[in-house]
Amino acid sequence: MSAAAPAARKDRAEHGWYVYGVVRESVAADEAVEDLPAVGSADARIAFVPHGGIAAVVSELTEERPLGTPDDLRAHAQVLDSLAAGFEPVLPLRFGTVLRDARAVADELLAGGHDDFVAALDRLEGSAQFTLGARYVEGAVLREILDEQPDARRLREELSRLPEDAGYYRKIQLGQLMAEAVDAKRDPDAAEIDRRLSPLAVAVAAEEPNAPEAVADVSFLVERDRRQAFEEAAEDLARRWHGRIRLRLLGPVAPYAFATEAMAGLGEG
Amino acid sequence: MTVAGQGVRYLDRPNSGGLVEVIDLILDKGLVIDIYVRVSLVGIELLTIDARIVVASVDTYLRFAEAVNRLDLARSGTETRGLPGMMEEIQEGGAEHKAKGVLKGAKDKAQEFLGSNEDEDDEEEEAEYEDQDDEDQDEDQAEDQDQDDQEEPEPEPVRSRRQSRTAGRKGRAR
Repeated sequence: MSAAAPAARKDRAEHGWYVYGVVRESVAADEAVEDLPAVGSADARIAFVPHGGIAAVVSELTEERPLGTPDDLRAHAQVLDSLAAGFEPVLPLRFGTVLRDARAVADELLAGGHDDFVAALDRLEGSAQFTLGARYVEGAVLREILDEQPDARRLREELSRLPEDAGYYRKIQLGQLMAEAVDAKRDPDAAEIDRRLSPLAVAVAAEEPNAPEAVADVSFLVERDRRQAFEEAAEDLARRWHGRIRLRLLGPVAPYAFATEAMAGLGEG
Repeated sequence: MTVAGQGVRYLDRPNSGGLVEVIDLILDKGLVIDIYVRVSLVGIELLTIDARIVVASVDTYLRFAEAVNRLDLARSGTETRGLPGMMEEIQEGGAEHKAKGVLKGAKDKAQEFLGSNEDEDDEEEEAEYEDQDDEDQDEDQAEDQDQDDQEEPEPEPVRSRRQSRTAGRKGRAR
């Protein structure tokens, strides 16, 4: 790649430095991280810019191209998740944060926000994020609804007697009824997840369901000591709901959902 | 794995998420720094909007209705023919559309910021998607939605204003 040639230095300065997040300086010698793919550049290495006990995780942008490819997104997450895997505190920056040069990273970002970063890293000490996705399975929930709702059963029977391309409005009516019934099930099921898992977490961040079959997408900030209890509770829930709700647990990952909260004062007040 | 359970595990524990999961994980999350040396914050607004699309439409209702019609009530177990495919179709159709929207959004935004227009990237990204499309019977549907998105008139004045402000900031930072 000729992009790294000395002649291109002026251009390179303009491409900037991609910043993944902020960690303690003591973590900043992580060799496993240094060899991971970087955002935006095939040949760049992950590096650390230290300042006053903290360090920014960065890589140089050597190519002139927009960020946001699937590989870019994966690289961003992979670097941060590797750092978080050992339950070291990591403050993720939002995807796409680029500073002008290494000096800007140290003097503007780290120096400017130093005390806030230190406090936030302290708050995240010894914990990592686990993200649970819960989805209704196969026909189980639809059968459940048909059992509970005579109207839905009746509509379904009427439709089965019509030719396939007829009964458009009745189809919509049935579908709407089913969709609304799924919506009504979502709240108690999401509440059950909360009841079982939230007591084992330091903080909880739930997202709006973004698909018809979604029950919940919840991120938990979990301390190292409670990791096992948390994972066992999730497994218990998955066993109990087997065949009805599918549970998928990602983690430990970097505390993406809690970074802003950590800066503001996590679990305080 | 620390918690290797006894026997069968019911909890799905992937080592790393797929692309859609990664997007869900990092999207709209993390600290936003607001200092003048910031060169770019790529795609954030569009990423946010596209990810929040909740599928609640006639289209969804029709799919639900079809799923219910295919349900074989004579069978009582959790195992059904036809329906699992249906639910998956709903899931994949939605997820794929989201991923497309998001990445297009990111790209548009990036171009807005960086002012570049490289066709090579387009091809690369399309290639990635085709891999995912293989099993998606619902592709046409997703394509239609994409086209609809594009046909919508863009809020031009807002866009250009934002662009010029960004350019101004960039100039000052140098």
